[in-house]
This record gives sequence, structure tokens and C-alpha cells, in this order.
Amino acid sequence: MKESKKKLNRSDITRLGYRSLINQAGFNYERMQNIGFTATIGPALEKIYKNDKKKLAEVTKDNLEFINTHNVLVPYLEGLMLSLYEGGEDPETVKKIKISLFGPLAGVGDAIFWFTLMPIMSGICASLADQGSVLGPILYFLVFFAAFCLRFPLAHMGYSTGTKALETLQKNTEKVSNSASILAVTILGGLIASYVSLSLAPVIDVGNGNVISLQEDFIDMIIPNLLPLAYTFGIYYLLKKKVNPSLLIVGTIVLAVLGTFLGLF
Amino acid sequence: MEISLLQGLLITLAVMVIALDNELEGFFIFRPIIVCPVVGAILGDLQIGLAAGALVELAFAGISPVGGVTPPDAVITSVMTVVLSKTANVDVTTAFAMAYPFGLLKQFVGTVTCTVFAFWNKLADAYAEKADLKGIYKICAISLCITTCIAGLITFLSVYAAQEPLKLLIESMPEWLTNGLGVAGGLIPAIGFAMLLRVILKGRYVPYLLAGFLFASFVELNNILPVAIMGLAFALADYYKNNNKQVGGSENEGI
Repeated sequence: MKESKKKLNRSDITRLGYRSLINQAGFNYERMQNIGFTATIGPALEKIYKNDKKKLAEVTKDNLEFINTHNVLVPYLEGLMLSLYEGGEDPETVKKIKISLFGPLAGVGDAIFWFTLMPIMSGICASLADQGSVLGPILYFLVFFAAFCLRFPLAHMGYSTGTKALETLQKNTEKVSNSASILAVTILGGLIASYVSLSLAPVIDVGNGNVISLQEDFIDMIIPNLLPLAYTFGIYYLLKKKVNPSLLIVGTIVLAVLGTFLGLF
Repeated sequence: MEISLLQGLLITLAVMVIALDNELEGFFIFRPIIVCPVVGAILGDLQIGLAAGALVELAFAGISPVGGVTPPDAVITSVMTVVLSKTANVDVTTAFAMAYPFGLLKQFVGTVTCTVFAFWNKLADAYAEKADLKGIYKICAISLCITTCIAGLITFLSVYAAQEPLKLLIESMPEWLTNGLGVAGGLIPAIGFAMLLRVILKGRYVPYLLAGFLFASFVELNNILPVAIMGLAFALADYYKNNNKQVGGSENEGI
């Protein structure tokens, strides 16, 4: 069966960029992004299988199975899958390719967006906002708007280059992610010093009306921000022990209130 | 100050747009750094919005929906931080600690919707059987309407309808409690940072963490940019060192 005739045009692929915005619509714990994903590629599928209702039903059902991948990178996968469907590839094969790709794609995307770009942008823009500059939120918006714009070239890249490009993407990500981690970790060190605050209130009366402040005359003499650093590492340790983050937040609030009540902070 | 009906409605409307983006992760306008200034502007105090934005953004720096989990809701926490700070006239750190329970409440609601939405799958499968993609588009639209309206409703109730009791509650709080909540506000960013560190920190990155920490501890900084540039210098140094190593390695292999 020859089905190599082109059924999709450029704008069908560009549309994936917009339509991929609904990737998370109907998000559910059972199959996660399945509904939004199917709805994104729906119009293109209808075009490809215009004369084959049975196959359209089969492919639609396939795509309603579990998927959870990265929202900005998902057009890449969709472009790739559509080029395969259009080329007459067996839907069963496409399904296998999809299953093998969505996980790694999510890994690459989370590493780039949530764990590198976001802490860097949060750190820089929050410090600008803290000085009362509107530049903070504006800069943040512009950078993530640029990330949104990536969806369009990604869709075309997936459609035209296929699986090979993902390998290169993954290889480059590993190389760059090491450097990006160094940058992010350095900023985090600075953020801990700038934005976590804790100081001890007690003062010790040494007679003759002289007092020694536990914070200013003792801890600050050793190293300022020692307590914030220690607290951050304490939380880090508890997170490693798989303590629930929400519990840690509630615990922190209780600890702070209790400590203040006892005159400790 | 008191929130007027118009302000309450404007905030609700803004949050509905933002909540839609939060659901879809399209433009990232759901981050506190954007939400707080928007709410601040509606309440006529952009500066408080910016201060709250900086604080809440950093507190939520490490809290992400990665892996399909529903995290505490940053949007309603941001909104309530600004609103409580204005209505009860407390500083943003105290307001943030009081706003956080709203984030937990919304997280719970989000968990419920994501569980209930699993029922869509049966319906979607049935539409697929008939190759009826229109039906699936309809499910998408209805889901987004539901989540957006829930966010709007919770916001309106918290911001406008409940402002009197909330104000009374805050005013009746003893001083040690408000101060304690302020202390908590100073500590909560540590949790966000620790969560990020859990993902990216490896033994070989610890020197960079300490360098950034010491730099910011001893040098008076207006913002974090100088630390970022120092980090960039470290990153570039490492990148070229590794690249050279690779080139050297391949030469050795050639011999």
C-alpha cells in the first residue's frame, strides 16, 4: 500500500505549535496527558486518514493511552509521529516509537526548563523585583515567551528530521547540562546567602551593663549566614530521606513560631 | 485597606487567565514573580506586589509539577500574600506564611480534579471508537473550563468574600505569632532551594555552591546578577576544560 503522498502542509505542522498548548487539558492521574495530546494532533490525523475511518479510530485509540512528557518539547514528538503516520508507517510501530521517546523527552525538558532555566531566572528576576524594579517580571516573561516560541521550530524539526535529531539533542543536553548545573548551583549558593534569613535573639548579660548578642557577637564573627546555610542543608538532608516537602513547610512554620514564642529567634 | 468588589472581580478574572496558563504551562505567567505584581497593580500598590513576587518566587523555586505530581498552588499563595499584606497591613513575609494554607487547599482541590478527570478516559475511548475527534476536543474544552472556574471561585471567595473574617483573624493574632510567621517567611525559601539542590547537586558541584554562598555573604550586592556572572565564569571554565580533555583524549587514541 503506497501512502507516501503528502497530505499535510507546512501550516499543519506550524499549527502543532499552537495546538500543543492544550497538551495538559484533561490531565488525569490515570493516563496523564493522553487527552490533550490526542486533541493536539487530532486535526492532522483527520487529514491523514480522511478516507479511512477505521484507521483513524485505531490511531485515536492508540494515542489515548498513557503519556507524560514535556509541554514545551512535545511538538517535536508530535511532528515526528505525524511524519511517520503520513508516510504510511504501521500505527503499531509509531506507538512503540512514541512510548520509547516521551520519557527521555520529558527528562531533557525538565532538566532544561524546571531545573536550570527556572532557578536562574527566578534568582535574577526576584532580586530585581526585590529592589522594586518592574524589570524583574518583564524579563521573566520575555524569556519564557521565547521558550513558547520554540514550540514552532521544534514541531518542524520533529516532522523533517525524525528520531536522529533527538539523539543529538540528548547528547548536547548532557554536555551543556553539566555547565548549566555549575551556573545554577553557584546562583543557589548566592540565593541562600541573600534570601534565607534566620538569626538568634538571645543576648548574654556579662555584667557592667555589657551584653553579648549571640548572633552579632558570636555567629556573625564566625561567618554570617551560617544559620541559613545550615538550615538549607538540614532540609536538603530531610528531602533526601524522602520527607514530604509540604510537611517540611508546615514544620518550618511551626518551628519558627515556636522558636519566636520561646524568644529564640 | 479593604478590597472593593471591582478589585475582587478584577483579581478573580486575572487569576482565571493565569490558572488556565498554570494548567497548560504555556507562557509561565502563573509564576509568583508575575502574579504578585499583577495583583499588586490591581490593588494600586505595585511595590508590594514586586516585594511579594520576589519572596514567593524564591519560596516556590524548587516546587515544580515534574513527574505528574500536583504541587502546592503557587498562584493562590501569590494572590493571598499580596492581598493579606494589604488588607491586614502586615509585611510580605508574615503574609506569605498566612497565605500558604490557601496554596495547600488548592493543591488538594487540584489532586481531586486530576483524580476525577480519569473518568474522561472512558468517554474519550468511546469517542475514539467512532473516530469522533470533535468529542475529544469537547472534553478538552470542558476540562479547561472546569479547572479555570474552580480557580476563579476559590480566588473570589478567599480574596473578597472572606476578607472580613480573615482580617479579624489576623488582627486577633498575638504578636509572637505574627513575628513567628515572619521568621517562617525568612526560612521557607530554604525549602525551595533545598528541593532544587536535591535534583542538581552532586559532590563535584559543592565548591561552586560554597563559592556563590561566600561571595554573597561578604560582598554587598544589589541583586544576584554578579553571582550569576561568577557562575557563568565557572561554567565556561569547566566547559572548555572538558572540551580540551576530549580533544586531548582523541589525539591520544589516534597515536
